[in-house]
Amino acid sequence: MDEGRGIVFKGNSEGLIIVIPEGYTPEQIISETEAKVSAAARFFKGARIKVVYRGPQLSEKDEARLRSVLDEKSGAIIESFSWEDDSAQPRNDAPAAPAAVFRKHFSHDLSEDNCKFVRSTLRSGTRIEFDGSVVVIGDVNPGAEIIASGNVIVLGTLRGLVHAGAGGNREAFIYALSLKPTQIRIAEAIARCPDDADDRVLSPEIATVKDGVIIVEPAYTHR
Amino acid sequence: MSEVIVITSGKGGVGKTTTTANIGTGLALLGKKVVLVDTDIGLRNLDVVMGLENRIVYDLVDVVEGACRLKQALIKDKRYDGLYLLPAAQTRDKNAVTPAQMVKLCDELRNEFDFILIDCPAGIEQGFKNAIAGADKSIVVTTPEVSAVRDADRIIGLLEANEIRNPKLLINRVRQDMVKRGDMMSIDDIIDILAIELIGVVPDDENIIISTNRGEPAVTDQKSLAGQAYRNITKRVLGENVPLMDLNVSEGLLAKMKKLFGIKPA
Repeated sequence: MDEGRGIVFKGNSEGLIIVIPEGYTPEQIISETEAKVSAAARFFKGARIKVVYRGPQLSEKDEARLRSVLDEKSGAIIESFSWEDDSAQPRNDAPAAPAAVFRKHFSHDLSEDNCKFVRSTLRSGTRIEFDGSVVVIGDVNPGAEIIASGNVIVLGTLRGLVHAGAGGNREAFIYALSLKPTQIRIAEAIARCPDDADDRVLSPEIATVKDGVIIVEPAYTHR
Repeated sequence: MSEVIVITSGKGGVGKTTTTANIGTGLALLGKKVVLVDTDIGLRNLDVVMGLENRIVYDLVDVVEGACRLKQALIKDKRYDGLYLLPAAQTRDKNAVTPAQMVKLCDELRNEFDFILIDCPAGIEQGFKNAIAGADKSIVVTTPEVSAVRDADRIIGLLEANEIRNPKLLINRVRQDMVKRGDMMSIDDIIDILAIELIGVVPDDENIIISTNRGEPAVTDQKSLAGQAYRNITKRVLGENVPLMDLNVSEGLLAKMKKLFGIKPA
């Protein structure tokens, strides 16, 4: 495997940046992108993304082919697709300015998001996929999965798997009255309970992403 | 030369998953490279028994559907080198995989591993057909109950019909005190009916429940009688000739157990 030398996918707040190394033929670019996108199809599914690519500029025809590969294989809704001159861009893809300190868990689009209410306990084998936020009035048991593009709130015990911000929204959070998940994911960050988990915590907790890592804190500090 | 071994039973709850976890861990302890494949899609358990549930990102269905590479789905065991788990999907069903896909998957795993142990679901439907598709060998698990033995008999017939020759018999959860009183089928009674080679007898042992709940296979527990039984079975899987705990009469089994208790007081 020649990772680090091939095509690289980077995420940013807008969507996806495809970094193409110099010296690739259009055929290589298309086939490698296709393989990478297919492998990550579940990650992209249903997301609305803007795609730019960096590196050598492609001909109009090849550009159209690359876009159709993304359209077909990613399952995402590609809002735009264009070439970006990377020499003009800062190398660091981190957001330029920190958002306002308060209300940072409630970015504008998430606080007015679609919301699905589930008024039952989610048992093993149940999978809820929703474009928006999900509120569960009940427990989420091990083996149940919630995949939401927005926030996930569990008014009960979360013991299963939750993926919030599944479209790539790092502002999403996971809140539970009792947070004991098998695994939680927010955007592309992933975390699991430590093997010697302390299950004495009885207060509500909230999981958010800070510096690309999932942080779990008692929820009352966010009042 | 790698071997694909399916662990099956027909009846549910006789100990297929426990057996898979213990033999797999036992083989890894002896330095083999082992992968455990859970084919019980929709009712997965092997990840829980191995204590690896919270590490699952991709699963068997993702692999066969091409949503990820095989290596991404393999979970390395947290304790033993050379031991890996390919978990089943929980939110899908048995029809998400076909026997042809399983054959391809097993062949791919052969390149990497010495032993591929397949944990089969209960029943004889799609899940069973998937589990046995890529297998060269099989271990049939039963308990000393008429219903479990009846199902094992059916399974042996189906395995033979699918050209998986010489299935080996593992009798689980034997209680020597009940056998002695005549309240439980003896090893000989079961072998009389099933007429296949015995690979081992595992006594009923509460340590199994403790270890299963903790996600630590009993085979590593030197004090557990069942752990000793699984260590012996592991050696037999490798072709070693370890004397069975019992083959002749029920008194023999009892004596052997007593001897074992004498050596390793529980």
